[in-house]
Amino acid sequence: MKPSEIKKLIIGSMDVDAAPEEIARKLEEEGVSYDFSKGFSDRVIDKIFKAGVTIVRQTEFVRNLNSAFYRVALTGVAAIVVLLISIFLMEGSISFNSFLGLGDSYDESIVCLLTGN
Amino acid sequence: MSKRSTMIIGSYRQTEENELVKASLGGDKLAFGEIVKRYQKMVARTVKGMLGDSVFAEDIGQEVFIKLYHSLSEFRGEAKLSTYIQRIAVNLTLNEIKRRKRFFSMFSQKGNSEMYEFEVADHENEERREASEIVNKALMRIDPKFRIIVTMRMLQGYSTKETAEILNLPLGTVLSRLSRAQDQLKGILEKL
Repeated sequence: MKPSEIKKLIIGSMDVDAAPEEIARKLEEEGVSYDFSKGFSDRVIDKIFKAGVTIVRQTEFVRNLNSAFYRVALTGVAAIVVLLISIFLMEGSISFNSFLGLGDSYDESIVCLLTGN
Repeated sequence: MSKRSTMIIGSYRQTEENELVKASLGGDKLAFGEIVKRYQKMVARTVKGMLGDSVFAEDIGQEVFIKLYHSLSEFRGEAKLSTYIQRIAVNLTLNEIKRRKRFFSMFSQKGNSEMYEFEVADHENEERREASEIVNKALMRIDPKFRIIVTMRMLQGYSTKETAEILNLPLGTVLSRLSRAQDQLKGILEKL
Protein backbone atom coordinates (compact mmCIF):
# COMPACT_ATOMS: atom_id res chain seq x y z
CA MET A 1 0.00 0.00 0.00
CA LYS A 2 1.29 3.45 -0.92
CA PRO A 3 1.96 6.00 1.86
CA SER A 4 -0.88 8.18 0.58
CA GLU A 5 -3.29 5.25 0.95
CA ILE A 6 -2.06 4.57 4.48
CA LYS A 7 -2.65 8.22 5.34
CA LYS A 8 -6.17 8.05 3.89
CA LEU A 9 -6.82 4.93 5.95
CA ILE A 10 -5.63 6.62 9.15
CA ILE A 11 -7.79 9.69 8.56
CA GLY A 12 -10.72 7.54 7.48
CA SER A 13 -10.55 5.53 10.72
CA MET A 14 -11.75 8.63 12.55
CA ASP A 15 -14.98 8.86 10.54
CA VAL A 16 -18.05 8.10 12.62
CA ASP A 17 -19.42 5.69 10.03
CA ALA A 18 -16.05 3.98 9.41
CA ALA A 19 -15.51 0.27 10.03
CA PRO A 20 -12.63 0.49 12.55
CA GLU A 21 -12.22 -3.27 12.83
CA GLU A 22 -11.65 -3.51 9.09
CA ILE A 23 -9.16 -0.61 9.14
CA ALA A 24 -7.24 -2.14 12.05
CA ARG A 25 -7.05 -5.44 10.15
CA LYS A 26 -5.84 -3.72 6.96
CA LEU A 27 -3.18 -1.80 8.87
CA GLU A 28 -1.98 -5.00 10.51
CA GLU A 29 -1.71 -6.61 7.11
CA GLU A 30 0.42 -3.64 6.05
CA GLY A 31 2.87 -4.28 8.87
CA VAL A 32 1.42 -2.04 11.57
CA SER A 33 1.50 -4.65 14.32
CA TYR A 34 2.54 -4.51 17.93
CA ASP A 35 3.65 -7.15 20.37
CA PHE A 36 5.96 -7.51 23.34
CA SER A 37 9.28 -9.28 23.08
CA LYS A 38 9.60 -13.07 23.21
CA GLY A 39 9.02 -14.67 26.61
CA PHE A 40 6.81 -11.79 27.80
CA SER A 41 4.20 -14.04 29.46
CA ASP A 42 6.91 -16.05 31.27
CA ARG A 43 8.42 -12.84 32.63
CA VAL A 44 5.01 -11.66 33.85
CA ILE A 45 4.32 -14.99 35.57
CA ASP A 46 7.78 -14.97 37.19
CA LYS A 47 7.24 -11.44 38.50
CA ILE A 48 3.81 -12.24 39.90
CA PHE A 49 4.69 -15.46 41.64
CA LYS A 50 8.13 -14.42 42.92
CA ALA A 51 6.57 -11.26 44.35
CA GLY A 52 3.85 -13.48 45.81
CA VAL A 53 6.42 -15.40 47.90
CA THR A 54 7.82 -12.15 49.30
CA ILE A 55 4.34 -10.88 50.12
CA VAL A 56 3.44 -14.16 51.86
CA ARG A 57 6.65 -13.98 53.92
CA GLN A 58 5.96 -10.36 54.86
CA THR A 59 2.37 -11.20 55.78
CA GLU A 60 3.52 -14.12 57.95
CA PHE A 61 5.98 -11.88 59.80
CA VAL A 62 3.31 -9.24 60.44
CA ARG A 63 0.85 -11.94 61.57
CA ASN A 64 3.43 -13.38 64.02
CA LEU A 65 4.21 -9.91 65.33
CA ASN A 66 0.51 -9.23 65.86
CA SER A 67 -0.09 -12.48 67.76
CA ALA A 68 2.99 -11.82 69.94
CA PHE A 69 1.70 -8.31 70.64
CA TYR A 70 -1.74 -9.62 71.63
CA ARG A 71 -0.19 -12.15 74.01
CA VAL A 72 1.97 -9.50 75.69
CA ALA A 73 -0.95 -7.05 75.84
CA LEU A 74 -3.36 -9.59 77.34
CA THR A 75 -0.81 -10.68 79.95
CA GLY A 76 -0.22 -7.03 80.82
CA VAL A 77 -3.93 -6.32 81.23
CA ALA A 78 -4.32 -9.46 83.41
CA ALA A 79 -1.41 -8.33 85.62
CA ILE A 80 -2.95 -4.86 86.07
CA VAL A 81 -6.32 -6.39 87.06
CA VAL A 82 -4.64 -8.71 89.60
CA LEU A 83 -2.70 -5.73 91.01
CA LEU A 84 -5.89 -3.64 91.37
CA ILE A 85 -7.72 -6.51 93.09
CA SER A 86 -4.85 -7.09 95.51
CA ILE A 87 -4.69 -3.34 96.32
CA PHE A 88 -8.43 -3.31 96.90
CA LEU A 89 -8.22 -6.33 99.20
CA MET A 90 -5.24 -4.98 101.18
CA GLU A 91 -6.19 -1.32 101.42
CA GLY A 92 -9.99 -1.57 101.24
CA SER A 93 -10.18 0.89 98.35
CA ILE A 94 -8.53 1.61 95.05
CA SER A 95 -7.90 5.30 95.62
CA PHE A 96 -4.81 7.05 94.23
CA ASN A 97 -3.10 6.91 97.64
CA SER A 98 -3.70 3.22 98.09
CA PHE A 99 -2.45 2.68 94.55
CA LEU A 100 0.80 4.49 95.51
CA GLY A 101 1.00 2.41 98.73
CA LEU A 102 0.31 5.42 101.01
CA GLY A 103 -2.93 4.03 102.39
CA ASP A 104 -4.64 6.30 104.96
CA SER A 105 -1.38 7.51 106.59
CA TYR A 106 -1.03 11.22 107.37
CA ASP A 107 1.92 13.35 106.29
CA GLU A 108 3.08 13.66 109.93
CA SER A 109 3.21 9.93 110.41
CA ILE A 110 5.28 9.61 107.23
CA VAL A 111 7.72 12.26 108.53
CA CYS A 112 7.89 10.37 111.88
CA LEU A 113 8.41 7.14 110.06
CA LEU A 114 11.22 8.56 107.94
CA THR A 115 12.99 10.66 110.59
CA GLY A 116 12.37 8.31 113.57
CA ASN A 117 11.10 11.29 115.71
CA MET B 1 9.54 -24.02 30.15
CA SER B 2 9.30 -27.78 30.58
CA LYS B 3 7.59 -30.06 28.08
CA ARG B 4 4.92 -30.89 30.66
CA SER B 5 3.98 -27.26 31.29
CA THR B 6 3.84 -26.59 27.56
CA MET B 7 1.38 -29.46 27.24
CA ILE B 8 -0.72 -28.12 30.08
CA ILE B 9 -0.76 -24.65 28.51
CA GLY B 10 -1.88 -26.35 25.33
CA SER B 11 -4.83 -27.83 27.21
CA TYR B 12 -5.91 -24.34 28.29
CA ARG B 13 -6.09 -23.05 24.72
CA GLN B 14 -9.71 -24.08 24.33
CA THR B 15 -10.71 -23.08 27.85
CA GLU B 16 -13.42 -20.48 28.36
CA GLU B 17 -12.38 -17.13 29.78
CA ASN B 18 -14.37 -17.46 33.00
CA GLU B 19 -12.78 -20.85 33.68
CA LEU B 20 -9.35 -19.31 33.20
CA VAL B 21 -10.24 -16.53 35.62
CA LYS B 22 -11.44 -19.03 38.23
CA ALA B 23 -8.31 -21.14 37.85
CA SER B 24 -6.11 -18.04 38.07
CA LEU B 25 -7.89 -16.96 41.25
CA GLY B 26 -6.94 -20.34 42.69
CA GLY B 27 -3.30 -19.52 41.95
CA ASP B 28 -3.01 -21.52 38.73
CA LYS B 29 0.06 -20.05 36.99
CA LEU B 30 -0.63 -21.75 33.72
CA ALA B 31 -4.20 -20.52 33.49
CA PHE B 32 -3.05 -16.97 34.08
CA GLY B 33 -0.25 -17.51 31.56
CA GLU B 34 -2.91 -18.38 29.00
CA ILE B 35 -4.77 -15.12 29.78
CA VAL B 36 -1.51 -13.19 29.27
CA LYS B 37 -0.89 -14.94 25.96
CA ARG B 38 -4.43 -14.24 24.74
CA TYR B 39 -4.34 -10.54 25.52
CA GLN B 40 -0.68 -9.50 25.27
CA LYS B 41 -1.02 -8.30 21.67
CA MET B 42 -4.07 -6.25 22.56
CA VAL B 43 -2.22 -4.66 25.49
CA ALA B 44 0.86 -4.09 23.31
CA ARG B 45 -1.24 -2.18 20.78
CA THR B 46 -2.56 0.14 23.49
CA VAL B 47 0.68 0.61 25.40
CA LYS B 48 3.04 0.83 22.44
CA GLY B 49 0.56 2.88 20.44
CA MET B 50 0.49 5.40 23.28
CA LEU B 51 4.07 5.30 24.55
CA GLY B 52 6.06 4.18 21.55
CA ASP B 53 8.06 1.02 21.15
CA SER B 54 10.35 1.44 24.15
CA VAL B 55 11.53 -0.57 27.15
CA PHE B 56 9.10 1.45 29.26
CA ALA B 57 6.22 0.16 27.16
CA GLU B 58 7.28 -3.40 27.95
CA ASP B 59 7.42 -2.55 31.68
CA ILE B 60 3.96 -0.98 31.57
CA GLY B 61 2.71 -4.06 29.72
CA GLN B 62 4.00 -6.27 32.53
CA GLU B 63 2.47 -3.96 35.10
CA VAL B 64 -0.91 -4.26 33.36
CA PHE B 65 -0.96 -8.03 33.83
CA ILE B 66 0.42 -7.88 37.37
CA LYS B 67 -2.35 -5.43 38.28
CA LEU B 68 -4.88 -7.66 36.52
CA TYR B 69 -3.74 -10.66 38.57
CA HIS B 70 -4.07 -8.79 41.85
CA SER B 71 -7.48 -7.36 40.94
CA LEU B 72 -8.97 -10.50 39.40
CA SER B 73 -11.10 -11.07 42.51
CA GLU B 74 -12.82 -7.75 41.76
CA PHE B 75 -13.70 -8.84 38.23
CA ARG B 76 -17.38 -9.77 38.36
CA GLY B 77 -17.75 -10.73 34.74
CA GLU B 78 -20.25 -7.94 34.02
CA ALA B 79 -17.98 -6.60 31.29
CA LYS B 80 -15.79 -8.64 28.97
CA LEU B 81 -12.38 -9.57 30.35
CA SER B 82 -10.81 -7.80 27.37
CA THR B 83 -12.60 -4.56 28.32
CA TYR B 84 -11.42 -4.94 31.92
CA ILE B 85 -7.80 -5.49 30.80
CA GLN B 86 -8.05 -2.66 28.31
CA ARG B 87 -9.18 -0.26 31.06
CA ILE B 88 -6.18 -1.21 33.21
CA ALA B 89 -3.87 -0.73 30.22
CA VAL B 90 -5.35 2.69 29.40
CA ASN B 91 -5.13 3.90 33.01
CA LEU B 92 -1.55 2.76 33.51
CA THR B 93 -0.48 4.20 30.18
CA LEU B 94 -2.11 7.58 30.86
CA ASN B 95 -0.47 7.63 34.31
CA GLU B 96 2.90 6.96 32.67
CA ILE B 97 2.35 9.80 30.20
CA LYS B 98 1.50 12.15 33.09
CA ARG B 99 4.57 10.98 35.01
CA ARG B 100 6.81 11.54 31.98
CA LYS B 101 5.30 14.98 31.39
CA ARG B 102 6.08 15.98 34.99
CA PHE B 103 9.59 14.55 34.74
CA PHE B 104 10.39 16.22 31.44
CA SER B 105 8.89 19.53 32.48
CA MET B 106 11.25 19.49 35.48
CA PHE B 107 14.40 18.70 33.53
CA SER B 108 13.78 19.98 30.04
CA GLN B 109 12.44 23.06 28.37
CA LYS B 110 12.04 21.29 25.06
CA GLY B 111 8.52 20.05 25.68
CA ASN B 112 7.09 16.65 24.94
CA SER B 113 7.98 16.30 21.32
CA GLU B 114 11.31 14.69 22.11
CA MET B 115 10.16 12.36 24.84
CA TYR B 116 9.14 9.56 22.56
CA GLU B 117 11.92 7.77 20.83
CA PHE B 118 10.36 5.44 18.38
CA GLU B 119 12.19 2.43 17.13
CA VAL B 120 10.46 0.76 14.28
CA ALA B 121 11.04 -2.96 14.08
CA ASP B 122 12.93 -4.26 11.07
CA HIS B 123 10.62 -5.19 8.28
CA GLU B 124 11.64 -7.11 5.23
CA ASN B 125 9.38 -5.10 3.09
CA GLU B 126 10.18 -1.42 2.73
CA GLU B 127 6.54 -0.56 2.10
CA ARG B 128 5.46 -2.30 5.29
CA ARG B 129 8.17 -0.47 7.23
CA GLU B 130 6.97 2.80 5.79
CA ALA B 131 3.36 2.11 6.78
CA SER B 132 4.46 1.35 10.31
CA GLU B 133 6.55 4.51 10.40
CA ILE B 134 3.71 6.73 9.20
CA VAL B 135 1.31 5.33 11.83
CA ASN B 136 3.81 5.59 14.65
CA LYS B 137 4.91 9.13 13.76
CA ALA B 138 1.30 10.25 13.51
CA LEU B 139 0.54 8.69 16.90
CA MET B 140 3.52 10.26 18.60
CA ARG B 141 2.75 13.73 17.27
CA ILE B 142 -0.91 13.83 18.16
CA ASP B 143 -2.10 15.23 21.51
CA PRO B 144 -2.21 12.35 24.11
CA LYS B 145 -5.86 13.21 24.78
CA PHE B 146 -6.66 12.30 21.19
CA ARG B 147 -3.97 9.64 20.89
CA ILE B 148 -5.90 7.28 23.12
CA ILE B 149 -8.99 7.67 20.94
CA VAL B 150 -6.94 7.06 17.78
CA THR B 151 -5.28 4.00 19.35
CA MET B 152 -8.60 2.49 20.38
CA ARG B 153 -10.14 3.17 17.01
CA MET B 154 -7.35 2.66 14.51
CA LEU B 155 -5.19 0.01 16.16
CA GLN B 156 -7.73 -1.88 18.28
CA GLY B 157 -10.62 -1.47 15.86
CA TYR B 158 -13.15 -0.56 18.55
CA SER B 159 -16.45 1.05 17.67
CA THR B 160 -17.36 4.45 19.10
CA LYS B 161 -19.57 2.79 21.71
CA GLU B 162 -16.83 0.36 22.78
CA THR B 163 -14.30 3.19 22.95
CA ALA B 164 -16.64 5.19 25.18
CA GLU B 165 -17.16 2.16 27.43
CA ILE B 166 -13.45 1.44 27.82
CA LEU B 167 -12.46 5.05 28.39
CA ASN B 168 -15.46 5.64 30.62
CA LEU B 169 -16.42 8.71 28.59
CA PRO B 170 -19.81 9.86 27.33
CA LEU B 171 -20.48 8.93 23.70
CA GLY B 172 -20.73 12.61 22.76
CA THR B 173 -17.23 13.30 24.13
CA VAL B 174 -15.79 10.40 22.13
CA LEU B 175 -17.50 11.66 18.96
CA SER B 176 -16.21 15.20 19.41
CA ARG B 177 -12.69 13.93 20.17
CA LEU B 178 -12.81 11.72 17.09
CA SER B 179 -13.57 14.74 14.95
CA ARG B 180 -10.85 16.85 16.58
CA ALA B 181 -8.38 13.97 16.34
CA GLN B 182 -9.17 13.67 12.65
CA ASP B 183 -8.43 17.38 12.15
CA GLN B 184 -5.11 17.06 13.99
CA LEU B 185 -4.20 13.92 12.07
CA LYS B 186 -4.85 15.66 8.75
CA GLY B 187 -2.41 18.41 9.71
CA ILE B 188 0.21 15.95 10.95
CA LEU B 189 -0.03 13.59 7.99
CA GLU B 190 0.23 16.45 5.48
CA LYS B 191 3.71 17.22 6.81
CA LEU B 192 4.90 13.59 6.76
